[in-house]
Amino acid sequence: MNLGIRAALYTMRKWKKTLLLFCLLLSVTTLVLSGLAIADAQEEQAEEVRQTTGASFTVQRDLSSGGWSSGSGGSYSTQEFMTGDMIQKIAAVDGISGYDASLITLPRIFKENGKELEHENYSFYNYGSYNSQYHKLFLSGRFELIEGSHITDDMADGIIISKELADQNSLKIGDTLTGIYYPENNTPAVDMKIVGIFDVVADKDDQLNMYTDSSYYDYSSFVFCSMEAAEGLIKGWGEDGDGISEAYYYVTDAAQLDSVIKEVRNIPSINWNNYTITANDEVYQNISSSLTDTETLITTLIIVITVVSMVLMILILSMSIRSRKREIGILLAVGIAKPAVLLQYMLETLLIAMVAFPLACLSSQQVAGTLGTLFGKTAENVIVTPQHFELVVIAGGILLVVAILLSCIPVFRFKPKAILAQME
Amino acid sequence: MNIIEVKNVGYVYNNKKKVLRSINMSVEEGKMYAILGPSGCGKTTLLSLIGGLDSPSNGQILYDGQDIEKNGLSGHRKNHVAFIFQNYNLIDYLTPKENVALTSKLPTMPILERLGLTKEEANRNVLKLSGGQQQRVAIARALASEAKVLLADEPTGNLDEDTARDITEILKESAHRMNKCVVVVTHSEALAKEADVVFRLKRGELQISKNQERND
Repeated sequence: MNLGIRAALYTMRKWKKTLLLFCLLLSVTTLVLSGLAIADAQEEQAEEVRQTTGASFTVQRDLSSGGWSSGSGGSYSTQEFMTGDMIQKIAAVDGISGYDASLITLPRIFKENGKELEHENYSFYNYGSYNSQYHKLFLSGRFELIEGSHITDDMADGIIISKELADQNSLKIGDTLTGIYYPENNTPAVDMKIVGIFDVVADKDDQLNMYTDSSYYDYSSFVFCSMEAAEGLIKGWGEDGDGISEAYYYVTDAAQLDSVIKEVRNIPSINWNNYTITANDEVYQNISSSLTDTETLITTLIIVITVVSMVLMILILSMSIRSRKREIGILLAVGIAKPAVLLQYMLETLLIAMVAFPLACLSSQQVAGTLGTLFGKTAENVIVTPQHFELVVIAGGILLVVAILLSCIPVFRFKPKAILAQME
Repeated sequence: MNIIEVKNVGYVYNNKKKVLRSINMSVEEGKMYAILGPSGCGKTTLLSLIGGLDSPSNGQILYDGQDIEKNGLSGHRKNHVAFIFQNYNLIDYLTPKENVALTSKLPTMPILERLGLTKEEANRNVLKLSGGQQQRVAIARALASEAKVLLADEPTGNLDEDTARDITEILKESAHRMNKCVVVVTHSEALAKEADVVFRLKRGELQISKNQERND
């Protein structure tokens, strides 16, 4: 009679022991599978949070390391401005999802017929922009694009204007406007095509900083134009105080912010003595600490469940094998080798596991959802995947084999005579 | 021809107590041997050493001239010897038929029937059989194997007189008709009388005290 038949007969005829082990394996596997599903759901949630909260960093001219000079508008820093090339090089670093920079000009804007646009202020507050969707006024929700598209870095002459301005001057997408920075000084006229219209969502009253130039302008007088157009507007204007002072970069995964900044600092063609980098990830840091706490809790629970189960399993198997000492002695006495006896016991346990594991896969679908709600997850998000099952089957199988080996050591170190003598 | 030779075998229990001292004996096929002696004199230990359940502290045991230790004790137990124990030592989750099948690939029913078990009894839970029936199953398991040597440790110790007589007859037949070498450890003079050769074990030393002719 081979060991396979012996294992099958034992499993069937000692059904109470089989049932005990089956229930234990089913419960443990269900809990571990549920734990893994919850851990994955937690990971997904963390990933989502990282991407939705995002993080950014700002590259600015370092005014402290540059000199100062004075002109018609007062004193100004002689620190070098950021160049388009430098901004693009930083934007090309892996992990950066978007960027923008502002070149602020205060032009007057005319319609195609040469008539100046009617609005609340004398001139417009114009942001030269690479990607207006990443401008803080849009990201903060103060402005919302309601028609057309944002300014992007591949546009040469785009402009987006407020709905109020469009209504007041009967403007629409596709209309051409002409901007002139200082008509009195004959600065160049730059033609720009309207590509988008935004709505002002927030009141001007809640503007955070009341001490910048922008605070004198009504939101309806804010416009955003392509960076190339903005650079065209300041051509011929001799002041040294105009240029790009800072650029904003948005990182896909907030957790990667530090490594992205490190990589940016390694760009050799930029003289980092002249620029500073500031990380903006307070929101992510606040959320991530609570996410990390939950992740740690779930991981700890999985480890505790696995370790306690292993201990419990070794105890039960040890007790079972102790109760089978006589059988071991008899099998050895009739010439069955120790490895064959060991294999028989492994096979018995694996036969039970072969039924318990797939059933646990089914039961964990329900249990995982219910347990997931305790950790603030919705049942739909907590899914037991084939990968979880594969992991549990492989790791569980190995742990069971180890548990049987450990349980058998106390008996197998004796010679058959000693085992049989102990039973007598 | 001697099938088993025990040469200068000694056994020290737990590195302290000398149980056997320089034992020399030999057994051959077709004969029944009895090892007699008081409790604790080392009879069972000697049988275990012959059967490869344990290793001697010194000396050697040869099967067909080969050292059993060198050829592997597990293989010796599987191929050369078969045990019959006082407490039967049957596997409790196997039926009598399945217990016998542990040592044999041949059909098991003929041998069980020859030893007096019905088909119904042969398929019953082994623990639901009487002591005598269980011992018959144990003997059937030993006989079903291809082992030439049957080692019986107090095979009638737990049985009533009539059943003990039956079992003794079966053992004698195994030696004389089936040409097995049967070595019985016993303290029963009645059983020893039926043996062809009787060894007496006293204070760890062996003496041949009786040698009788085959009675078949």
